[in-house]
Amino acid sequence: MPIRFNDTSLGAAYSTFEAQRRSNPNLKLGQEQVLQLVALVGDGHRGWSASKVASELKKPGLSREQQLALVKGGMTASEKLDLAAILDQGTVPLEPGARQFLEAVLDRSSPQPPPPPPASNGLSISGDQKNGLSGVTKAGATIEAINISTAPTGRLHMDDTAVIGKADASGRFSMAKLTGDQAMREGDLVRMRARYADGSTSDWVTVKATGIAAKDTSNAAVALFRIGLTDAGTGKVSVANINASRQVSEPGAQLQFTNLRSGEKTKVTVTETGGFPEGFSLNGKAGDSFSVAASDGVNNTGFTELVGNVTVPGGAPSGRDLIPDPALHKDELDAAGKPRFSKATFTGPLFIDGARAEDVQQGQIGDCYFPAAMAAIAKANPDAINNLVKDNGNGTYTVTFKEKDWATGRFKDVPVTVDGDLWARSYGGPLYGRSANSSDTRKMELWFPLVEKAYAQWKGSYDTIGNGGHSSDVFEAVLGREGQQMSIYAGNLDRVFDTIKKAVDAKQPVAAGTYGESEEARYTNSGVYADHAYSILGYEQTGSEKYVVLRNPWGESEPSGNGANDGIFKLKLQDFAKLYQNVMYLN
Amino acid sequence: MALPPEPIEEVLPSAAWVVEAEVAEVLATGPAPPKPTGVRPGATSVGYKAAAQTVKLRVMRVLKGAPTTELVVEKPVGAYSLKPGNKGPFLVDAAKTILGRYGPDSWHPDRVKQALG
Repeated sequence: MPIRFNDTSLGAAYSTFEAQRRSNPNLKLGQEQVLQLVALVGDGHRGWSASKVASELKKPGLSREQQLALVKGGMTASEKLDLAAILDQGTVPLEPGARQFLEAVLDRSSPQPPPPPPASNGLSISGDQKNGLSGVTKAGATIEAINISTAPTGRLHMDDTAVIGKADASGRFSMAKLTGDQAMREGDLVRMRARYADGSTSDWVTVKATGIAAKDTSNAAVALFRIGLTDAGTGKVSVANINASRQVSEPGAQLQFTNLRSGEKTKVTVTETGGFPEGFSLNGKAGDSFSVAASDGVNNTGFTELVGNVTVPGGAPSGRDLIPDPALHKDELDAAGKPRFSKATFTGPLFIDGARAEDVQQGQIGDCYFPAAMAAIAKANPDAINNLVKDNGNGTYTVTFKEKDWATGRFKDVPVTVDGDLWARSYGGPLYGRSANSSDTRKMELWFPLVEKAYAQWKGSYDTIGNGGHSSDVFEAVLGREGQQMSIYAGNLDRVFDTIKKAVDAKQPVAAGTYGESEEARYTNSGVYADHAYSILGYEQTGSEKYVVLRNPWGESEPSGNGANDGIFKLKLQDFAKLYQNVMYLN
Repeated sequence: MALPPEPIEEVLPSAAWVVEAEVAEVLATGPAPPKPTGVRPGATSVGYKAAAQTVKLRVMRVLKGAPTTELVVEKPVGAYSLKPGNKGPFLVDAAKTILGRYGPDSWHPDRVKQALG
């Protein structure tokens, strides 16, 4: 006999479960579904909506007692009768935990079994993870967890946990979930511990998530940028995690390295700390490249899908290096003159949404004049960037610069071809110029880092371009017209502003440079940095007030009060004149 | 040299103190470092460096490290210099040297707090 509900929304929700049960006779209501139902009766609480109650009930860290109080606080007598009917007459079976929760809502003295004692390490996990993590620990303890299957490609340490739940007075916790990038998928490894009231913690417990989906389809993630290869000099290449406090991959995953020169394949199992076994090495030498494939034991067991390549620094590049790359800046060489960084091959799109100033981010190299100029060009004349760099479709790109031919007085084309190999930082992303998505070799927008690389190639090396310069030289090299520089002083502010205005209106790039020598003190706390170049993106004029709109080529760090920390800000012309020594533009 | 600040995650492990503080006094200034040579007028990122300083910090808030209300610290030779009244988040190592390429201007205060978790 169907239940006659007093609360129509509760009745409608229960009908949905009944309908699901008809098509799936194995359906049982678990904790998640019961929370959906009780949220509908808890909606009298503080005038909250049912969805607000549902969201509060699922908040990480909420104990069972707090959940019960929330529901009871909004429940009317007639709704209580509805819940009792679901318990006693409902046609959809309840899982034991869900039944106990409903009984507790109704204050029935249920024959609730005492919780099992926590494991000797202080934390034990029970059941599958269909509705989150459940288990037993000390009463009142908070539950901390990290998804160590998804963590490697982020920047998390293995103990960078999130609080996902709280044990109740009996020590139980349930429905504890990680969210966002950390959300559990079938087969993920979740590392957990309980933190007690006195601040001490249980031992770590690692759970392999089950019950979430029919199939584990998520392979082990690999932080390629943390794999450090070093030529050991005896036909061996040492392999290490160059940021040992973070993971290369999930514990227990297998990585297969294939030497692209010799074809030799070597497998290794990732250790409990997410790195390599002590002393792990490969057969190879400086300049060898290795493809890397991973398997979590379920996915990619044939190691056919590759994560990417890693190269042993130094020596002649292996046959995979399409174009010899410009040398590192001298600051990135060790005492023996060998590179302290490896290269990574970037294969992302040349442009994602055309060339934009925001695509440009300066790396760890003293060439601020270059990104400042490129961002200014991208803002003023994006087509010039589109015409500057071409994808050759074979892993190489040609950047066509302009150079003045002093014999004819005209500018001539200087094509420079580069490949997608960039010097990479230990934690991922290019060491030098970069764009958005820089930690992903397959997604980063390539035009800016490749144009910078081509400029270094043309001029000799990253060291050649990385010790200062003029944005006007870059304007010339890209646009093939002579650059100009105008000093700023108190007497020529109107002329400076007119020059900026004319250039911006004519869609020509403009940049500005700050003072360097002995002038550092004026910049501290100003939000503007000494010895630095900035793009000028525009101007504003309100009555007699004139403003200059600027962009820091770092893509961040600006005077306060300018909105998001994206490096874009405006200064009154008088303030601009105090902090900047010159503007650079095209003749 | 106007390089971007170092990634805070690389610097933070070396910080014995992270404090919100104000420069109360510059106690000493070291010799001027050598100037870059062959610099074209108007060039930027040429690597000008300011002298080392010994400064007294008035600590408003300790975000990491032993509680204190005052620190006497070394500002190394680098791309910035300090004067009384300068303020911000200071990362200081166990040898009482200010970390970060631009001292209190290296990272936005919110970024420092985020990195500290």
